[in-house]
Amino acid sequence: MSRLSLLNAGVVGLSLLVLSAGDISAAEYSLSVDRVKIDTGDFTRMGIGYNGETPGPVLRFKEGEDVTIKVTNNLDESTSIHWHGLILPYQQDGVPGISYDGIDPGETFTYNFPIVQSGTYWFHSHSGFQEPDGAYGAIVIEPEKREPFRYDREYVVQLTDAHPHAGDRIMRNLKMSADYYNRKQETLLDFFSDVKDKGLSATVDDRMMWGDMRMMPTDIEDLQGFTPLINGKSSSQNWTGIFKPGERVRLRFINSSAMTYFDIRVPGLKMTVVQADGNNVQPVTVDEFRVAVAETYDVIVQPKEDKAYAVIAESMGRTASVRGTLASRQGMVADLPPLREDPRLTMADMGMDHGNMAGMDHSKMPGMDHSKMPGMDHSKMPGMDHSKMPGMDHSKMTGAAKNNDAFYAAGSGLVPSAADGGKFLSYSDLKAQKPLYEDREATREIELRLTGNMERYIWSINGEKYEDADPIVLQYGERVRFKFVNETMMTHPMHLHGMWTILDNGNGKWDPIKHTVSVAPGTTMYTETEVDAPGQWAFHCHLSYHADSGMFRKVVVKGGPKSASLSSQKGG
Amino acid sequence: MKRTYLFLGLLSAALGSTSSANAEPLIWGVQVEQLENRFTGDAQSDVMAWDGDALIGTDELKFVVRSEGEFQTRSERLETMETQLRLQKPISTFFDAVAGVRFDTPDGRDRVHGVVGLHGLAPQWFEVDADLFVSDRPSARFEVEYEALITNYLILTPSIELDVPLRDNLEAEVKAWGPKMEVGARLSYDLVDRSIAPYIGVHYERVFGDTLDLREEEGEEGDGLFFVAGLRLMF
Amino acid sequence: MKKRYALYAAAAVITLSLSSVYNPALAGAGHGKSGKTGAPGKASEVTRTINVTMSDNFYEPESLTVKEGETVRFVVKNAGEFVHEFNIATAEMHKAHAPEMMMMMKHGVLEADKINRDAAKKMQESMGHGMHDDPNSVLLEPGKTGEVIWTFPENAELEFACNVPGHYESGMVGKIKLSH
Repeated sequence: MSRLSLLNAGVVGLSLLVLSAGDISAAEYSLSVDRVKIDTGDFTRMGIGYNGETPGPVLRFKEGEDVTIKVTNNLDESTSIHWHGLILPYQQDGVPGISYDGIDPGETFTYNFPIVQSGTYWFHSHSGFQEPDGAYGAIVIEPEKREPFRYDREYVVQLTDAHPHAGDRIMRNLKMSADYYNRKQETLLDFFSDVKDKGLSATVDDRMMWGDMRMMPTDIEDLQGFTPLINGKSSSQNWTGIFKPGERVRLRFINSSAMTYFDIRVPGLKMTVVQADGNNVQPVTVDEFRVAVAETYDVIVQPKEDKAYAVIAESMGRTASVRGTLASRQGMVADLPPLREDPRLTMADMGMDHGNMAGMDHSKMPGMDHSKMPGMDHSKMPGMDHSKMPGMDHSKMTGAAKNNDAFYAAGSGLVPSAADGGKFLSYSDLKAQKPLYEDREATREIELRLTGNMERYIWSINGEKYEDADPIVLQYGERVRFKFVNETMMTHPMHLHGMWTILDNGNGKWDPIKHTVSVAPGTTMYTETEVDAPGQWAFHCHLSYHADSGMFRKVVVKGGPKSASLSSQKGG
Repeated sequence: MKRTYLFLGLLSAALGSTSSANAEPLIWGVQVEQLENRFTGDAQSDVMAWDGDALIGTDELKFVVRSEGEFQTRSERLETMETQLRLQKPISTFFDAVAGVRFDTPDGRDRVHGVVGLHGLAPQWFEVDADLFVSDRPSARFEVEYEALITNYLILTPSIELDVPLRDNLEAEVKAWGPKMEVGARLSYDLVDRSIAPYIGVHYERVFGDTLDLREEEGEEGDGLFFVAGLRLMF
Repeated sequence: MKKRYALYAAAAVITLSLSSVYNPALAGAGHGKSGKTGAPGKASEVTRTINVTMSDNFYEPESLTVKEGETVRFVVKNAGEFVHEFNIATAEMHKAHAPEMMMMMKHGVLEADKINRDAAKKMQESMGHGMHDDPNSVLLEPGKTGEVIWTFPENAELEFACNVPGHYESGMVGKIKLSH
């Protein structure tokens, strides 16, 4: 087991071997998985990296080529690499227990698959908590055809939420005390200031209402105390991208965090979103956008002045932010504005929205096997008694008055608004530039209730944890409509491996094509998937500590072209 | 001792059945709620007291070792010590059912009880422990604790514990239906994450009813007020 | 000999009158709108035809060079799958035009891949303007072809661009270089 520090760049094992065989080009890459030292400026710790660094190198593929990637495991535990968002044969997908057995210590595994798409993607370990510990990197795939947008230069802007604690320690702490990392809880001082604003009885009613449910309106980020990084650098380390005034710059935003959603803005510049999750979208110009864990957004900015522009990523719960600089010259540092006010969940986020009770229909809850799901007693969901809802004063639901976003519960406290005014991107704004599939009716619908017990830190789907649940079985060739019903008060970025997720946002044939969709608390969201990838695939919430505590499923695709079969092959 | 082996056997069976390539992480940790020195005006009565849990298990079943006790610092004598081996299983969203064994060591003599109880979080964030100790010297114990956040790091924890003997236990100096009550208020500060939190506070003990009469007959105090300083630990 | 003189005289007269027409110094003399961006051109005065192809989301050619004062016919074909515009103006004018196009989108007049004429009529009735039919631009549905005839001024920084929301920012804009 070798220990390589961040500065040990001499171990760059990236070799490009181009073989031409007619029109098919092939390229070979090498990655080593190593223990590395992480220094964020706020703290140092040991973590995991690729080729001696975290984030790992940017892998540049070409659409149409065949890639071979040799991965050598220099750790003393098993590892894996999953290519997030890539369409490939299931044995190459990198999920231990589903695609293969993982990569043992000392072993070199060779991945080999054709590249059938273009855009911005990323890769990360799918073993234990290696990804939160630093095992992630970016993938940039050059298209065969010309892209529907032009730019003069580009930068990968990859975000993470680095934490001083190791991933498995964080999981253990959350299991012992779910609010271990929550330092935004309502205090006595908050009580007094609320009394000043709202009056004593309204404040008491409010506290009683939440206390009855044993839930907190400030419970937006499970994991706090992290230092956000842009391309491995904190604000003090200041990642910098140089531009020439007047150039169009493409920024490839990738959220590689374990648990954190980021709101992105570049004060002084509008951003034109041209790609989401690697797929081109009809361009939409915004002032700010929210990127969920595992999502990617490509935007074009055109900085015209000879100065420094700040690229700011502020966490959704407003506990931390990071600033990178787009500069016309080296050595510039853009301003880092203070964090905005904390959002608070409202009753609407609890699914208590009177207009949108879809997620709370008890008549539709068959088969709730209580023996399998400790403590998830839906029949006793407190707070469902409308007669017991004091203080439901709609005039005081400030969240409702602000912005409406169809993808948040009406009156939600999480609906974002642009910091300096202007437009905040909504899922409703995403429209595919070129639909990948013909728009047709789904052949059946599968309901997936996103469930969990916050106090015990247990997360599940349909009340069942991964190890207790049957796989989801799909038929090759069908078009499945997934109905996500979020019965929890957290946002969950749901990721289906191997097949595209078409988000139903009311745009018909222009529905955007994604690999990760975020479901807000108290909402129901629909997606459709053309089942065209044989084999078995992972399907899970991409919040690392949720996936590991049970919010995970195996998807088995039955049938397919004759050449494919459900054999589990080790090696390649 | 046989009961200990039985529980450990059950535990390993339970844990073994949940292990697979995709097993969820093992939950384990130590939580010491009290590790303190209790001072009164009279150094004779000063005690060092502790109360903590060590746990290991899964979401479905946890094995907990709970230890509490009081040690007279002046005379270097163990005043009371209890060790519980508990199995906890969730029965509702916020409550676990508990079954186990408790071993007492007052005055060097072992005393064994069976434990049946409930452990969980009641509405409005009250942490509740309700246990029935089954033996020839049975008792019922009820503990409630509340964490009041003055700030996100400065926490005031009032607590109350009521121990009701169901039969006379003269060795323990209690009489049936004469309860023992302990009330405390501890102000802690999260110094290192939630791992180390020093605190100060007050601790008041009192006995009632026949137990009070018994103590007074023996020329002892029926109550005691202590100033406390200690550490809360979690790791 | 007389014939030749007549010819020279005629040529001189024609040249003089032509130069008086195209003399920039006399440009303001009643030839419709003209100024820093140029003016709509007359078909009869076209000296050159340039074919422009619009795709998603770019132009071919990517930039243009025209002579100052020249009248050019642009034959614009939309070879893409989305609605595009070919609009000759300065960068500031394009910026000002963008919110108007956004309004058209909000009113349902401008859809991603078609133009809704009914919605345009309604917008015209309620707002006083709907489909814009300016001489310096064409807005085309996929597959359609349109024409712009334009007379270019001297000394101007002109661009041809598409102001459908998002297209300009995506790079669907090109410089027009004016040569002497």
